Amino acid sequence: MIGKGLVKGLGITLRHLFDKKLTEFYPEVKPNLPPRTRSSMFLDAPKCIGCGICANSCPNKVIDVSTAKDENNKKVLTGYTMDTGRCLFCGLCVEACPSKCLRTTTEFENAEFTREALVWDMMKKYQDAVARGEVTAEPKQEGGKDNG
Amino acid sequence: MPQFGSEIFLVIAHWIRGLLGGNTLAADVVMNIVKFLMIYIVLVLAVCVFVMMERKVCAWMQLRVGPNRLGPHGWMQIIGDMVKLMGKEDFRPDKVDKWPWALAPMFFLGISIMVFAVIPFGKNMVPVDLDLGIFYIIGLSALSTLPIVTAGWASNNKYSLLGGMRSVAQMISYEVPLVFSLLGVVMITQTFKTSAIVEAQQHVWFILLQPIGFVVYVISAMAEINRAPFDLIEAESEFGCGYFTEYSGLRFGLFYMAEYANLFIVAAVAATVFLGGWQGPFLPGWLWFAIKVLFVVFLIMWFRWTFPRFRVDHLMHFGWKVLLPLSLANIVITGIGIYIYQLIYPGIGG
Repeated sequence: MIGKGLVKGLGITLRHLFDKKLTEFYPEVKPNLPPRTRSSMFLDAPKCIGCGICANSCPNKVIDVSTAKDENNKKVLTGYTMDTGRCLFCGLCVEACPSKCLRTTTEFENAEFTREALVWDMMKKYQDAVARGEVTAEPKQEGGKDNG
Repeated sequence: MPQFGSEIFLVIAHWIRGLLGGNTLAADVVMNIVKFLMIYIVLVLAVCVFVMMERKVCAWMQLRVGPNRLGPHGWMQIIGDMVKLMGKEDFRPDKVDKWPWALAPMFFLGISIMVFAVIPFGKNMVPVDLDLGIFYIIGLSALSTLPIVTAGWASNNKYSLLGGMRSVAQMISYEVPLVFSLLGVVMITQTFKTSAIVEAQQHVWFILLQPIGFVVYVISAMAEINRAPFDLIEAESEFGCGYFTEYSGLRFGLFYMAEYANLFIVAAVAATVFLGGWQGPFLPGWLWFAIKVLFVVFLIMWFRWTFPRFRVDHLMHFGWKVLLPLSLANIVITGIGIYIYQLIYPGIGG
């Protein structure tokens, strides 16, 4: 029948007129993102062994790891920065991390006013998270690996 | 008191006439000024309501909530829009044809306002009750092609010109079925007078006697006022914004306002001719009229947000090969019906 499709289309739009709306009122109501959303990074600093594999796996040279030797001639992390202005959040660094200390998080409000502010000091971020009580700081495990 | 409610505007008019005493000339002049101001105020308010309604209906049909910041549920957004439009720079491109370019939006809105003179807003509430009311509406709606072509030509822009050219083709093609769809009602009532047509619908609305006429009218009127799915004149995806590509600020605002004023006219004529105008139980006449106009406006918006745009050649084929024969057949059937009716009930009708 001619016009059947037209009537069907009108029916669909009329039904949508009364359907529940999908709009999220963003600043007032935060969206509930899926847990595997890659929109921010978090470094569990004490667990990091400073191997630098993450920095090598990064396609955009985002990560800058600096280490020093302590009195036991063991590598310790002294600085870990991420220039998120270049970061794709591809997650290759997370996959490469041998000690599973780097992970992606769902936090997404990362806009800043300056380019400098986009360079994240991941160790400071960790300390802030500890101070806020979001992460419980574990004392660094001593011994066991001194020989290795 | 329903009597007072339905007559409230007539009471006010009577009061104004009373103020001027026996001076009938002064009273007429003052009344005409008041009528013009009332038309203008009603028009501006209606445009505000329609713009908001359009944005909300469109959003709801797309499962959005639409504007939601200014005022309750965002219904005051139009105030922000208007302030923004007024605050914009009155920019004139270098190579436009200055006077026609500047006059086109004014004429477009002016013609729209003129049509309101013959719309019966309520019982005895026709600003100017012309004997050839329907004829006057048709004449002015044909005239409204002219400012569009003027704007398209004067803009000195090929996209604007294309939009203007399409408007001529489209509006003249669809003028024919539009006129013929109204002719059925005129044949039944034997009058062009809008108030008489409304009064003739006291017992039965003409949408029941002229269903084909109503369908043809709504479709060709949508094409006449360039609304989607017939918005080829301003098809954004094809050429910018058509005839008002080169306009900005308040001049664009005038075009925008005129478009919604035309929507109001189409809905008002549909309500007057097919849906019984101000006739209706319980509520005052002007309220019935407003309800019917809003219903037709909603219908047209519903079509707009459901159907995709026509192709140019399909549009012409549809106008000339479908709507025109349909409206002609409607006239023939109406004529036969009237003839049979007169054979059965001699003395009734013309």
